[in-house]
Amino acid sequence: MKAMNRRKLLSVSAVLAVASLAATAVPAQAAEVGVTSSSIKLGMTLPMTGTASLGYNKIPGAAKAYFDYLNANGGIYGRKVTLVVKDDRYVPTEAVAKTNELILKDKVMALLAPLGTANVKAVAASVNPARRGVPVLFVNTGFSGFADAKKYPTTYAVLPSYIMEAKIMGQYIKDNFAGKKVGLLYQDDDFGSDALAGFKTAGVNFAVKVPYASGSQGAAAAAGWITKFKAAEADVVILFGVSSATSAMLGVAAQLKYAPQWMLGSVGGDATTIKLTGVPAGVLYNAIGFSPVPATTDMKDEYVKLFSDIYTKAVPGSTFDLNVLLGMNSAFMAAQALKAAGPNPTRKSLMAVIDSKGSTFANSALVPLGYSKTSHVGLTGYWVGKYSPTGDLSPLGGTYVTYTTDSGAGAVVKSTYVRPAMPAKGLPN
Amino acid sequence: MHKKQTRDILLFILGGVVLYFLSGMVDELRVYQGASIAVYVIAISSIILLTGYSGQVSLGHGALMAVGAYAAAVARIELHVPIILCFAIAVLAAAIGGALLGAAAARLSGPYLAGTTLALAIGLPSLANQFSLLGGEQGLLFDVGFPPLSLGADFTQYKWFFWIAALAALISMWVIKNILSSRYGRTWRAIRGNEVAAQLSGINIARSKILAFTISAGIAGLAGALLSMTIGTVSPSAFPLALSFSLLTGAVLSGITTLGGAMIGAVVLVAIPEVADAVANRIGSSERVTTNLPGLLVSALLILTVLFVPNGPVEQHRARKARKLTLKK
Repeated sequence: MKAMNRRKLLSVSAVLAVASLAATAVPAQAAEVGVTSSSIKLGMTLPMTGTASLGYNKIPGAAKAYFDYLNANGGIYGRKVTLVVKDDRYVPTEAVAKTNELILKDKVMALLAPLGTANVKAVAASVNPARRGVPVLFVNTGFSGFADAKKYPTTYAVLPSYIMEAKIMGQYIKDNFAGKKVGLLYQDDDFGSDALAGFKTAGVNFAVKVPYASGSQGAAAAAGWITKFKAAEADVVILFGVSSATSAMLGVAAQLKYAPQWMLGSVGGDATTIKLTGVPAGVLYNAIGFSPVPATTDMKDEYVKLFSDIYTKAVPGSTFDLNVLLGMNSAFMAAQALKAAGPNPTRKSLMAVIDSKGSTFANSALVPLGYSKTSHVGLTGYWVGKYSPTGDLSPLGGTYVTYTTDSGAGAVVKSTYVRPAMPAKGLPN
Repeated sequence: MHKKQTRDILLFILGGVVLYFLSGMVDELRVYQGASIAVYVIAISSIILLTGYSGQVSLGHGALMAVGAYAAAVARIELHVPIILCFAIAVLAAAIGGALLGAAAARLSGPYLAGTTLALAIGLPSLANQFSLLGGEQGLLFDVGFPPLSLGADFTQYKWFFWIAALAALISMWVIKNILSSRYGRTWRAIRGNEVAAQLSGINIARSKILAFTISAGIAGLAGALLSMTIGTVSPSAFPLALSFSLLTGAVLSGITTLGGAMIGAVVLVAIPEVADAVANRIGSSERVTTNLPGLLVSALLILTVLFVPNGPVEQHRARKARKLTLKK
């Protein structure tokens, strides 16, 4: 009996000991992957080397510059935000391998701003962040599909879709170039078919449509395109392609003294990238362009002023351009989401807060965000501007006139959105 | 001969058993990398068969992989065929492509052949942009489905990929090994050694070369379909020129004439980026160093291999052993 009691005592105390151990272990386990008491780890994959890296390879430096600024000013509830960047060379195989490393080895809390439709699709299919519950914040592609919260439940779009852009261009043509002959250069794949869908919804009738296959664009091809536009006597020519197609077209047209009214899509209309291909920015002069965020030279804009100050200090000698602004804007939005997720952010609470409050997040864009529980649509519109002789896009008549729409059949309307004032010092509130 | 074959079969089965247990012991990232290694083993052995044995150079194996991958994905999406048939279709489609290419290749040699296959590597994948069936730049989804429920609830997708890829690698290595030690293998080696002499001994050079190209392409097609399986999609950008080059690099590192060395090249291709990352983190350097280090390491390894072990480490080891033996005698 005595022996029995002793055994009971032993087993009870053993259970108690284990239980107390378990109890002390609980708070440590409650923390989310990638979140410690002093840090929050995010991960990014994008092309840092290779031909596709032109311009885009500035995005990590831009995002890091903002996070460093944030960390120096107290971070998120005292936690420093760190960013692990991996080069995917714009190859889906690499994007999958590197994202696996980020999630399984570096154990990041969320992915930030991965780039390229094919890459994001491959990652969604193979790594499957949705099944793992890993948030994919603010993907850098205009493919409208990523806004589908059912198909990609943990993925959030940020750029306006190609469909929205084409619809807004169509509206602008109706309002300003009624009766003129319009030509379109587009990429002969999903990028182009999204554009065609948008123009169709907007009811644009083209005098001539010139498709090109991705990879075929060059000076020789551009000379051929020009012949077609000339033959159709197009007054307005829309270049809805990638930067290399835009620069080939504008470069050759300048040599041949062919000068219709150019209209450039936002993908191929970045002056820095065009300059990197060796074409002088002057060829952009007087072209019409579209952007969701303020002009990068507009130092009267509080966001542009602050972001360019932060960036030039962090990365001296590098030009503050659209890629930088978009990169910092995504970092700023990520900071807002993390702050809004509260003192103990989890992957779940992070996504829940974007669903519920994301549409009100402060950010530099002049058009509204569309996040909700059922949709992961990001920015929903553009303002229209003209390019200066140095290739900078600035608003027509000096004031931003913004249009907003959706990726479906919805109308294009002049936006009444008034951007809220920037939170103090550009830190999330 | 029979005894040797039985021994070989036993060795392959043993290899399978080791891989099976290994896949249960390592974490998910390693399992994924294991699957990539298996894919590269197959792709590299297809190059070893072609270049090391039949003496033809191909810079376009990435394109043949793309043919296999697209064939498998289209079969899966449009015809809903079972996954194992998809892989068979991939082999078949790439082999047909290889036969066509081989017919042209048999008339070419040296730099002309390299140039032709290079053009293929650049041009073929972007053909996908021309046909909406092939999904354009964004590509097609290629979903082999979830692992069977009987394997348990916590059997991960990557483990499933690894099993499929490793099994395919074992089987194709077995097949290649047998082909190489058959009459065909001997014929190819004879051609590689001296075309005129081979022809004088009654070998049909053109036919043999086309056959080598066809078989090699079929194997590359299988590797392509498996590669797409691991990334879940097929798109032109998954088969860049760099892929063809890195396969050739892998083959040289493996020892271009030793099939067994394929493992070395495959491991190097998968491990180098991670090694580079670790090195760069240790010395705490800038992004520019981190992103360029893998390429630098691979190139350095390639140069060192060509300088010091031109026939590959396995062949070198064998030669040294043989030399020691003759010295002893």
